[in-house]
Amino acid sequence: MTKKLDLLDIQGNVIRAYGRFGYPVARYVCLNVRDGAKGREFVGSISKKVTTAVEWGDGPGKMKQPDWTINISFTYQGLKDLGVPTSSLIGFSPEFVSGMKARRDILGDDGPSSPQHWDPIWQRNRETRENDVHILVSINALAGQGLDWLKTAEKNRDQAYKWFQGEVDKTKGGVVILDGHLGDNGEQFKYQDAKIVLDNGKPTSKEHFGYTDGISDPVFEGVPYDENRVKGRGKQIPGGKWAPLATGEFLLGHVDEAMEYPPSPEPVLLSRNGTYMVYRKLHENVATFDRYLEEQGSKFPGGKELLAAKFVGRWRDNGAPLVKAPDAESKAKYDAQFAAADEQGKDDLLSDFTYDDDMSGGKCPFSSHIRRINPRASLEMIHEEAGFTPLGAFLSLFLPPSWLGMFKKAGDKPGSLKVSKGAFNTPGALSDRRRLLRRGLPYGEVKDRTRDDGNHGIIIMMVNADINRQFEFVQQQWINYGNDFKAGNDKEIILGNHSLDDKFPSKAVLQVDPNSDQAPFLLSDIPRLVETRGGEYFFIPSITALHMIARGVVDPT
Amino acid sequence: MASNISGNAYALTILSPIKNSFTDDEVSYADTVRDRLQSWNSEPNSPMALVPQTYLCRYFVLDDVYTESLPGASAIDTLIDLLPFVPDSLRRCYWPKEDHLNSSYLVFSCNFHCGPNADLDGYLRNMWNTISDKIKEVWGFCHGFDGVDNADKFIDYMKKCQFEATLFFVGSNDDPLEEQLKALYLKQEFSKFAVSNQGLDTATLRANFKGFIQRVAPANLTAPTWTAGGYRIDKLVKRG
Amino acid sequence: MSNIAGKAYAMNVITPIRSYLTWVNKLIFWAAVKVPGVLTGLVTLSLIHYARWVIIPKDKFPHLDPSQPKENLNYNYMLFFSNFNGSWDQYVDSFTFAIPGGLDLFWKWNIRYSKSVALTPFHDYIRYNQLETIHYYNAYPLAASNDVKSAKTVKSSLIQFEKDTQTVSDEEFLKLYNGLLRGLQHDLGDMYPTPIVTMSAYQVERRQKWHEGKLAEAGENHGK
Repeated sequence: MTKKLDLLDIQGNVIRAYGRFGYPVARYVCLNVRDGAKGREFVGSISKKVTTAVEWGDGPGKMKQPDWTINISFTYQGLKDLGVPTSSLIGFSPEFVSGMKARRDILGDDGPSSPQHWDPIWQRNRETRENDVHILVSINALAGQGLDWLKTAEKNRDQAYKWFQGEVDKTKGGVVILDGHLGDNGEQFKYQDAKIVLDNGKPTSKEHFGYTDGISDPVFEGVPYDENRVKGRGKQIPGGKWAPLATGEFLLGHVDEAMEYPPSPEPVLLSRNGTYMVYRKLHENVATFDRYLEEQGSKFPGGKELLAAKFVGRWRDNGAPLVKAPDAESKAKYDAQFAAADEQGKDDLLSDFTYDDDMSGGKCPFSSHIRRINPRASLEMIHEEAGFTPLGAFLSLFLPPSWLGMFKKAGDKPGSLKVSKGAFNTPGALSDRRRLLRRGLPYGEVKDRTRDDGNHGIIIMMVNADINRQFEFVQQQWINYGNDFKAGNDKEIILGNHSLDDKFPSKAVLQVDPNSDQAPFLLSDIPRLVETRGGEYFFIPSITALHMIARGVVDPT
Repeated sequence: MASNISGNAYALTILSPIKNSFTDDEVSYADTVRDRLQSWNSEPNSPMALVPQTYLCRYFVLDDVYTESLPGASAIDTLIDLLPFVPDSLRRCYWPKEDHLNSSYLVFSCNFHCGPNADLDGYLRNMWNTISDKIKEVWGFCHGFDGVDNADKFIDYMKKCQFEATLFFVGSNDDPLEEQLKALYLKQEFSKFAVSNQGLDTATLRANFKGFIQRVAPANLTAPTWTAGGYRIDKLVKRG
Repeated sequence: MSNIAGKAYAMNVITPIRSYLTWVNKLIFWAAVKVPGVLTGLVTLSLIHYARWVIIPKDKFPHLDPSQPKENLNYNYMLFFSNFNGSWDQYVDSFTFAIPGGLDLFWKWNIRYSKSVALTPFHDYIRYNQLETIHYYNAYPLAASNDVKSAKTVKSSLIQFEKDTQTVSDEEFLKLYNGLLRGLQHDLGDMYPTPIVTMSAYQVERRQKWHEGKLAEAGENHGK
C-alpha cells in the first residue's frame, strides 16, 4: 500500500525546494502582530493565496505552476498573540517555545556568531513585545524564459510583494512589517532578499564558496514527484538499497521512524500536516575561505581543487561526490559519464552512493560537510584489534588459549575502519532520525572577494518534525563536535564554529587509504568560515490549521 | 564476586541505609547527606580525585523505588487482546503492586582499576587514608557506621553494604589510571606535534621528534601527564 | 545535582523485576558476556566508559542495625548504572535506534517495561525510573570513551615507532612516520570541553567559571 499525502493541505515549501523548480528569487518578510483580531483577519486573507504542495502540470488533480508562491509560518510568540489557547501552546516543543536565541549555547552560536552580531531584526527579537518576530512570510518567484529570465522573476516577486503589502495595509497597523534585515551597505530593510548565485549572468546552483548546494535533500513517503529520487536521499537499508524515510520525520501527525506520531500540539487538526522550520541567516567569509584554501591547497598533495572537494565531500564544479570520484583521474571518468548521462542518470551519479567502500574516509573525510550532515550508514563502523574469532572466544571459556591458535584473527589494518555488520537494527539507524529538509537560497552578491565583510551568505531553512532531535542534534553533535566520527572535538570543516581562541585551535584530519603509503593531511588553524547572522524557530501549519488560526477556533477541549 | 570484575577493572556498588532522623535545624539526615554531597560540587575538584585508581564514580540518595505502571504492557493485556472473555477484574489483579522503601540509602557506585588481584581492600584502604574526613561527612548519617574509625573497619562496613553486579561492561579499557592519563596526555600532545611538523624536511622532523619524545617522556607515568579530574585545558598538564 | 562530569553523563535507573524471573535475567546477562557478538552493538556505538547492571533481591537490602526498619518489598530491583558520552537524549535515542532488540532483552523482565520502540513511552519509562546523581566524579572530563581507547593506541604506537626508528635512514624514518600518522588517522581528535548539553543556566555559568578557574566566585558554598 503506497502512502499518499494530502498535498492540498500541506504548505508547498515543506515539500518543494522552490529553487529546484525554477524559482530563482525569494523574499522573506517578518511581521509583528499588534492586534490579535486584525492579525487573524490578515492570516485569513494570506491563507487564501498560500501555495500548497499540490502537483503542478496538466491533468486531473494538478494545477498550473504559479508565477509566485507564498508561504507563512509562526513563532511561539506569534501563535500566542494570535490567540491560540494555552492548552494548545503547551504542546509545542520546548526549543520552539524558547526560540533560537535562547538556544545559542546548544547551537554553538558564539564569538562572531553570537546574537550581538546578528542583524538588528534578530537581535531585537524576543526582547520587547513590539519587536518580536511573530510571522514569517516567504515569497518565491518564477523565472521567465529567454534572456529576461531573471527580470521576469523579479517582476513576479514585486507583484507578489505588492499584493502582500496591500494585505498588510488593510490591517491598519494591526500587523506591521518589521525592518532590520541588513543590506549591502549596512542599511536596514523590511525584507530579506535571496537569489541564486549568478555566473556571468547565468543561473547556477552554487553558493558563494563555489559549491553546488542542496543535492541530497531527504526523500520521504507520500510525495508523488519524488519517487525517482530516493536513491541516496531516503534511508539506507540492507544490501545498499534505499527506501523513503517515514513521513513523520518531517510532518506532524504522521508516523515516524519509531512508528509513533511525533510529539505535537493539540488538537490534531492544529498539528497534522504541519511541521517545524529552522530559519538561519548564515554569512560566508569568502575572503577567509579563499585565503585558507589557497594557503592549505599549496601544501595539499592533491592540489587546491581536490582540497576544496575534501572540505565538502563533493567537487566544486559539478558536485561530483568524492566517494565516486576520489582523485583527478577518476574525476575525469566521472565527468565523461556525467556528460553522457540523461537527467535521471545525472541525478543518480550525484546522489546514489554509500560510504560502504570508504569506511576509513580515504576518499571522503570524516569531517567533510556531507559526511557530517548525513553520514548515511557509515556510523555503523568498527576497528577490531587482534584477538580470537567469535568461535575462538567461545572455546576459550573451556580450553587453554595455547590450544586455540587457529581461532585467532589478525587485527584490522591500523587506521582503518570497517562496517560492523549487523551491529545495528538497520544500517542507517543512527542517521535516519537526524535528517533535515533543506530549503532557502543564497543572499547578496560577492563584490570583492578579498573582503569578508560584504553582504553575502545563505538563508537556510531546515524543516523537521523535532527541532531538538534533528536540527539541534546535527548542529551540536555533528557540526560543532566530532565524537560520533571518532574525531574528538574536531568540527565539520565548513560550518563548524571554529574557535578564535588559540587555546582551542581547530583542526581536521583528512584521512587516506589505510593500504596506501601516504600520510593523512592535517588541516590546521581552521578559521570561522560561516557566521550566524540571525534566525528563529517557526511552525509551518497545514492549510486546515491556518484557517483555524485565522478564525480563532483552535480549541483542544 | 567475579561479575564485579572485568579484566583489571572493578565495579563497586554500595547501598548504605541512612538513619530516619533529622538535625537540629529540622533537616532530615537524607537531605543533609544530599546537601553535603552537593557541596563537594563547588570545591575546585572532587575529593574522589585524591583516591588512587578511580576512573569514574557517583554518589546519590535513593529515597524510594518507583512503580511505573504503563497500561497495555503486560502478558494479561496481550491475553485480553487475543481472548474475548478475559474479565477486567483479572487484569486489575495483575496490576503492579506498589512498593516503598523504609529507609533512604546512600548509593556509591564506583569504577576503578583493581589490578589482576581484584584488590578491593586496597582501593578502600586508600580511600579511607586519603579522604576519611569526607567519608565521615556523608556516611556518618548511616546505620551501622558509628564506630568506624579506621581503614579496616571501613572496609568491613563497605563490604556489608556491597552488591554484586550481574553484568559489568567495560567500554573504555581497564588500564591503571596513570596509564590512561598518560596516554591521553600523549594523544593530545602528539596531535599538536603532528600538526605543527607537517611538511617539514625529514632531518628537521626527525630532530623535532627526538625533542618531542624527550619532552613528553612516554614511559614516565608520573610526569608530564594529565592531572586526575582536570577540567581546565591550561591547568591540565602535570609537570615533573 | 550533577548528572554531568565533563564528557560523561551518569545515568541511574531503578526498575522492579519479579523475583521468579530474576534468574532469567541473570542468565541473559551471563550469556551476554560469554557469547560473542551479543555486545557488538554496544561496542560499535562506543558511547560508554563503564556500565553495570545490579539486581538487588527484595530481602537483601543491607540491614545494619536493630534500630533500622526492615524492608518489606514485593519485587526485586534492578539498578542500571551507566557512564556515557553525550546528552541524555542522544544516548537514549542512539540506543533505541541502533539496538532496540538488545535493550528489550535486558529490560523486558522488568515490570511494565514499555519496550524501546516506540520512543516516547520508552523515554517516559526511563525518566520515571531515573535517579539523579548528586556528586559525579570523572578522572578525565575532557575525554570520551573513544578518546581513552584511541589514546592507548597512540601511546603504544609512539613507543613502538620510537623503538623502530632508532637506527634507520632518514628516508626510512619518513616512511615509518607517515605510516605512524596513517595508523593513527582516527585517533588524533582534539580533546576540548564538551559542547554544552544542559539548558540549566546555573550549570552553564558554573561550567564557564570552572574553565576560567573562578569557581570559588560562583557564590555557592552551602552545606558547610
